[in-house]
Amino acid sequence: MRCFIGIDLGSTTTKAVLMDENLEILGRGITNSRSNYDTATAVTKQEARIGTRFTLFRKALESQARNGRAAIEAVIGDLERGFRLEQFLGQLEQLHQACARHAEDPRLADKKRAVAATLDEIFRRLRAEAPAMFAKGAARRSDFFRDNAGSRFVQIAEGLAKESGLAYEDLLHVYDKSIIEVESRVPEDDSADKFARGFARMTADGQAAFEPAALKRALDAALAVEIEETYVVGTGYGRVRLPFPKEHIRSEILCHGLGAHMMYPATRTVLDIGGQDTKGIQVDPTGIVENFQMNDRCAAGCGRYLGYIADEMNLGLHELGPMAMQATKVPRINSTCTVFAGAELRDRLALGEKREDILAGLHRAIMLRAMSIISRAGGIRDQFTFTGGVAKNAAAVRELRKLVKENYGEVHINIDPDSIYTGALGAATFARRAVN
Amino acid sequence: MTVTAGIDVGTGAIKVAVLDVAGEQAKVLAKRVERVRQRDPLKLAADTYDQVLAEIGLKRGDVAYAATTGEGEALAFHTGHFYSMTTHARGAMWLCPEARIALDVGALHGRAIRMDGRGKVLAYKMTSQCASGSGQFLENIARYLGIAQDEIGALSRQADNPERVSGICAVLAETDVINMVSRGISAANILKGIHLSMADRLAKLVKTAGVAEGDIFMSGGLALDSGLVAAMEEAAAKEKLKARIRCNPDSIFAGAFGAALWGAYRHDKLARLAERQAA
Repeated sequence: MRCFIGIDLGSTTTKAVLMDENLEILGRGITNSRSNYDTATAVTKQEARIGTRFTLFRKALESQARNGRAAIEAVIGDLERGFRLEQFLGQLEQLHQACARHAEDPRLADKKRAVAATLDEIFRRLRAEAPAMFAKGAARRSDFFRDNAGSRFVQIAEGLAKESGLAYEDLLHVYDKSIIEVESRVPEDDSADKFARGFARMTADGQAAFEPAALKRALDAALAVEIEETYVVGTGYGRVRLPFPKEHIRSEILCHGLGAHMMYPATRTVLDIGGQDTKGIQVDPTGIVENFQMNDRCAAGCGRYLGYIADEMNLGLHELGPMAMQATKVPRINSTCTVFAGAELRDRLALGEKREDILAGLHRAIMLRAMSIISRAGGIRDQFTFTGGVAKNAAAVRELRKLVKENYGEVHINIDPDSIYTGALGAATFARRAVN
Repeated sequence: MTVTAGIDVGTGAIKVAVLDVAGEQAKVLAKRVERVRQRDPLKLAADTYDQVLAEIGLKRGDVAYAATTGEGEALAFHTGHFYSMTTHARGAMWLCPEARIALDVGALHGRAIRMDGRGKVLAYKMTSQCASGSGQFLENIARYLGIAQDEIGALSRQADNPERVSGICAVLAETDVINMVSRGISAANILKGIHLSMADRLAKLVKTAGVAEGDIFMSGGLALDSGLVAAMEEAAAKEKLKARIRCNPDSIFAGAFGAALWGAYRHDKLARLAERQAA
């Protein structure tokens, strides 16, 4: 099957969109690996292929006409949870090995045995907790291994450090070194194997409506399809280092403009809040960029601002928005600089202000910065499309809607939950256009 | 003898010191520093305080004056609070009597405090509200490079061709560092580059605070970083500052020591006042 892939190398995450020749999106992939663009590209492509297998599996089930939509969703959901759990356990094993190696550091020589024993205990607990993390209906704090494993590692390590008399700092240092190593490695492509093991984990719940043999046939058929990389286009912050020749590269402004147009053809203004860029883009009715503005080199007003705050509070990025939505008032944050805002957050918490309220204030601060960038790009025109990772954050969206209404009146606002893939979608579309 | 405590609550670390003060003489009974790293600073400060007291077999009630400084004003158990400007000046003078500038380099701010021979503050200058080139900035980058705090200084001093990094946002620096690493720049040269940028900024700060005579004493967590101290010496020479750069293994406790000393001073004053009233 001919496939077209767009890759958006962001500063925080790398995204891939895989489409067929009819511009139908088959799979999406995302990774937070930042250490190396080659690795990020490889990982995210692998993820997009996994997504494609799920889509193909879904199509195979749909072709068995007697099955209802709900039954199909149940199977897909069940298989996905099993698959992700297998993936998580695999990465956990790698992290454990890396930690064990870093515990051999001469700096820790005098407490080597205690560190190793504590690490074993931490990983024993992490493995034991994993199935619950991927159970039906369980909310995970993030899509990324680093966040899911890391936040629990930190919590467990703090408790165990006290019991075993080890320095919390030493354990964290071993973790910091190891996680970088694990993230910089491209996992071998054993997804067929993980699909098989994920399949074996499927519960009666998911399979209820199906013949087990028919399910297995559908999965095998989905795994047998050859996914041909017909053309790949790369964009994003890391595009100068993309492992592709120059003609396979497009600017991220062009890709975001076109991607937004593909999702909402009536788009005239795009606001994209990514990890370290906030872009205001004006496009014409065909999706071609007319004008744009970007932030200068400062994290205030970008996605990293919220990422930093989440790290400060030991929360997942996903948890910030819902928590800020619980606010009863929105305090004015005095700091512009992200690091200072982090310190202000801690001061305010120490003074007894509610976490929810402070978070709401921080969300307002980031949207105020974004509004000033749009106004420099020529303001908001109808229709207005908001894209990027921050578009998934309900509290940010709420502040944006308020600010748009105050400044520009009634404007139609488009927000797609998958809008983090906008740049990659634009790139994939360019890839499709490059081949006849 | 008067036992007093100084509790310096910083953005990056909590510093606690217990002193035995008799007139002009003071002796450190116990001290401890704890990095905050995502923990609740006030709870950590209280716990650290209790641990330090337990080490020397004391209880909170045995301390005549518990003085807080930095962000410690909200600690319920303190006797009094002193501004960090005055505590750092006092602590610097105590650790280094020739010092006339206390240069406090902490996680977020650099502060230059000029004082007279009695520790009275004459001028005070602080870095701006952007974390580029702050201690936190250095800490973030060391983490991205996978380097522990106490390895930074030695590595930086091995640099042969420092890469200047001034003006990079502390939060976005991660990407720049990744790019530097992929360009083949060594960790030593990256760290030294940061040290030089920081030192330039600090030397300018000292200049605006005014230097007349005496030495520059570096306090705060970053004073333990031998790479920064070396860079500071280079920057001072470049800015033609005549003063020597001084520091002390206990530099990080300057604020806590200063607070404990001021605590003892105020305690004596209050005691004398009470005596006079009784008489």
